[in-house]
Amino acid sequence: MELWLFIIIGAVAIIAAAMMLISENAIYSALFLILNFACIAFFFLMLNAAFVAMVQIAVYAGAIMVLFLFVIMLLGAERVLPEAQPRFRWLTPAAIILALVFLAVSTLAIIKGEIDLTRPKLEEPMVRAVHAVDGVPAVDVYLDGEQVARDVAFGEASSFESWATGRYDAQIFPAGADPEADDPLAEYPVNLVPGVTLSLAAIGNAQEPELVAVTEDLSQVDDKDALRVVAINALHGRTAIDVVDDTDSGSRRALVENVPYGKASDVIEIEEDTYDIGVYPAGSSRTRLMGIEDEDLEAGTAVLWIFTEQRQDDNSYTSTIVNLETDARPPFGSPAHVGQLLFSRYVLPFELVSLLLLVAMIGAIVLTHERLAPRRRFERRLANVPAGLEQSLPGETGD
Amino acid sequence: MEASEVSIELYVLLSAILFIMGTMGVLLRRNAILIFMSVELMLNAANLALAAFARQWGNGDGHVMVFFVMTVAAAEVAVGLALIVAIFRTKKSIDIDDLHLFRG
Repeated sequence: MELWLFIIIGAVAIIAAAMMLISENAIYSALFLILNFACIAFFFLMLNAAFVAMVQIAVYAGAIMVLFLFVIMLLGAERVLPEAQPRFRWLTPAAIILALVFLAVSTLAIIKGEIDLTRPKLEEPMVRAVHAVDGVPAVDVYLDGEQVARDVAFGEASSFESWATGRYDAQIFPAGADPEADDPLAEYPVNLVPGVTLSLAAIGNAQEPELVAVTEDLSQVDDKDALRVVAINALHGRTAIDVVDDTDSGSRRALVENVPYGKASDVIEIEEDTYDIGVYPAGSSRTRLMGIEDEDLEAGTAVLWIFTEQRQDDNSYTSTIVNLETDARPPFGSPAHVGQLLFSRYVLPFELVSLLLLVAMIGAIVLTHERLAPRRRFERRLANVPAGLEQSLPGETGD
Repeated sequence: MEASEVSIELYVLLSAILFIMGTMGVLLRRNAILIFMSVELMLNAANLALAAFARQWGNGDGHVMVFFVMTVAAAEVAVGLALIVAIFRTKKSIDIDDLHLFRG
């Protein structure tokens, strides 16, 4: 089905291009070119490039071709009068031979060339730091001495950073510490492989901090009403916990079970809804350790819960839940995806291109600007002065 | 992303064919506006290849490149058409064979 669609639309594209080339009338050429652009927009859709397809129709087939048609009509230049003798008679056969040779070579290269096109390349690993160490106001996180995040406050996460693939020692320092001289609070070996999204969560207390590496899944969930949840157990009492959906007290169900201290649960997918979440010691449903009430969980997000405790001045502990919500990565080729790329990795090229457009605008004005002959003064006849009297008017001495 | 029925070779081949047609237009036509349109066809062929490879590698950079190519094409069209208009004013023709200022 898809193949047939490709063949049909591809044939239309090639025929439209050929008609564009052989049309005598430039208006017909422009219209065939629009047809060709529409076919290419269709191919963009087949290639999961929805945003590019939109821009192709709006900007290319719309704005640019309107400009072409406008200039053709403005100049009345639909046809170039056939000249008796083209100046370069040898050009036609030469161009056709060159085109055929190029086509043959590129076809050979595409079909016979042993280019490895099948290996899918995964995105670079991404890493962020989450701070949930009781008693430390803020932390810096390093991977092999290179800073991932600085000054992360308690209960917050840094933004995701792309990182080179490899094995690292993740280290966590109190904010402002010198990674060369000072001892880290905690260390943890991590292995960054392509495509992985890692949250380095620092848990525990100032005396015994620990690092937990959680692999998150930020890809879109197949079910569009669902979201992904991961829980980390960082409870002071070091008991294993169950995380239970308490929304309906009649039918409670465990979301994750038996998560030991310092470990992350599996990633689970749940439906979008408003939840009451309760945390219980593993296997028991009587003593509720802590909970989140009326939590709105939105589809298309990835949620990380860290269940921890904070020591108060009077040596008692209060339970704290670090609740981090991250938007899932937008689907490939969507406007959000292209927009994110444009405003992250490609900001500078984008600005340069904007500058180029500005220069082009000024260039177009300068090129088409007609230098008007400076208007000669007093050339105009004064309507209410009888002919022959102009010379005698004061101040009108010409030039 | 599920594998597509249409392999990337076909897209690149189509892109090559369209590119060559554009080149032929640039070389063989004498109407300056048609030459410009042929250049647009070549740019579009390149865009198609970029989008095909972006899908193949699952990498959005190709889409951003397509976006940039379109922007550059828009700038090029603005300046190019301004040039054509300016030339038409002096020469009263947009046949590129007439555009020789030196005799020879």
